[in-house]
Amino acid sequence: MADDSIAIVRVRDVLMIAMPADPDDATVSALQEKVLQVIEQSEAKGVILDISAVETLDSFFARTVAETVQMVGLMGGRTVIAGMRPSVAITTTQLGLTLGGAMTALDVDRALDMLSNMH
Amino acid sequence: MDIHLQTTTSLAREWEQRKAFVGFTDAEAQMLLELGPVAETYVDEVVEGLYRQFLSFGETRAFFPDEATLKRVKALQRAYFLQLTQGDYGEAYLANRLHIGQVHQQIGLEPRWYMGAYSIYMQLAFPRVMAAFKHDLAKGQRMFLALLKIITLDTELAITTYIAAGEEVISQQSREILEISIPVVQVWAGVLVTPLIGALDTARAQQFTERLLDRIVETRASVALVDITGVPTMDTRTAQHLTEAISAVRLLGAQVLLTGVRPAIAQTLVHLGIDLSNVATRPSLEAGLRLALDMLDLQVMHRNGQR
Repeated sequence: MADDSIAIVRVRDVLMIAMPADPDDATVSALQEKVLQVIEQSEAKGVILDISAVETLDSFFARTVAETVQMVGLMGGRTVIAGMRPSVAITTTQLGLTLGGAMTALDVDRALDMLSNMH
Repeated sequence: MDIHLQTTTSLAREWEQRKAFVGFTDAEAQMLLELGPVAETYVDEVVEGLYRQFLSFGETRAFFPDEATLKRVKALQRAYFLQLTQGDYGEAYLANRLHIGQVHQQIGLEPRWYMGAYSIYMQLAFPRVMAAFKHDLAKGQRMFLALLKIITLDTELAITTYIAAGEEVISQQSREILEISIPVVQVWAGVLVTPLIGALDTARAQQFTERLLDRIVETRASVALVDITGVPTMDTRTAQHLTEAISAVRLLGAQVLLTGVRPAIAQTLVHLGIDLSNVATRPSLEAGLRLALDMLDLQVMHRNGQR
């Protein structure tokens, strides 16, 4: 099931989500649902979306991520997108996709630094 | 260097077009065939006359340093001259002429001497052709015109080989320029510097962006100083490539600091409506470096304690 393929790990008050390599639309939608649920339950203050395994990023994914960032924000959390691959970054900018101005980090380590510096 | 002027189907078709354009038909081919035996009678005089001219000019004399060379090329010239009147002007003829042009271009004979030689041919051939047909001047005239047409076609082919050689050099240089990859240097932990030089066409921009992003991942950089002092002008496409690169860097959690924006570029960017309001800029690389270190919470201090 799409729901089960996403692993959400909580480290202190940060949620870490590792996206699989080629998520289908159902997986991406399920991501949004799951994240918001877990934030509510755990009162996490930050979300790190690790996309280091993602090879392609389409407009649906980009839009869903942008929405999720906003939703997390409304629930009092901050989101960092970590580990985007160079090839994905190039395609994203060429397609004119934005991630809703989400914060970005080179990798999960940096993302953790960013979130901890914000408290 | 091999110029790819083999007789491909398109070249062969082009050859027929060229002949049609100058009015070289089977009738001309027939006339030249008829002129053949006449040409044999004066070919040696013509070759001698041609080389007398070559040897009297310093620049062309240099190509014939010794007797052996002179003898060899005279023989080749003789064969060339006789081929003008052997009656077959198809692909084999075309290939032969292109090859000769290539050889001359490769030995460094400048076009003006090569083309000039055709003129000398004509000057030497004309009175001899007219003399041979003095009993029928109208025919003599037709004969000479046929010769004129084929020599003009040969001259065209010669020009083609020279142009092709020039174009080959240009595309070779373009390939080399593309291969000179833009340097992306780590000047401090977390700080990359890349001096952009020249214009950014799509291929180079792609290469630049990929290289920059890979280096950011490799060195875990947070700041990329992009210096555009060496970019003389910027068109819409280059500006767009630059902004795309800047956005892509941001997606990797790093930041671009733009330095060295010249007045002309500043004007162009504003006129093009390029929004760089969220890109930090500094007038010089030095100023950019200061800002980069500042962003990393680093400070440069003098040993005696002063900043």
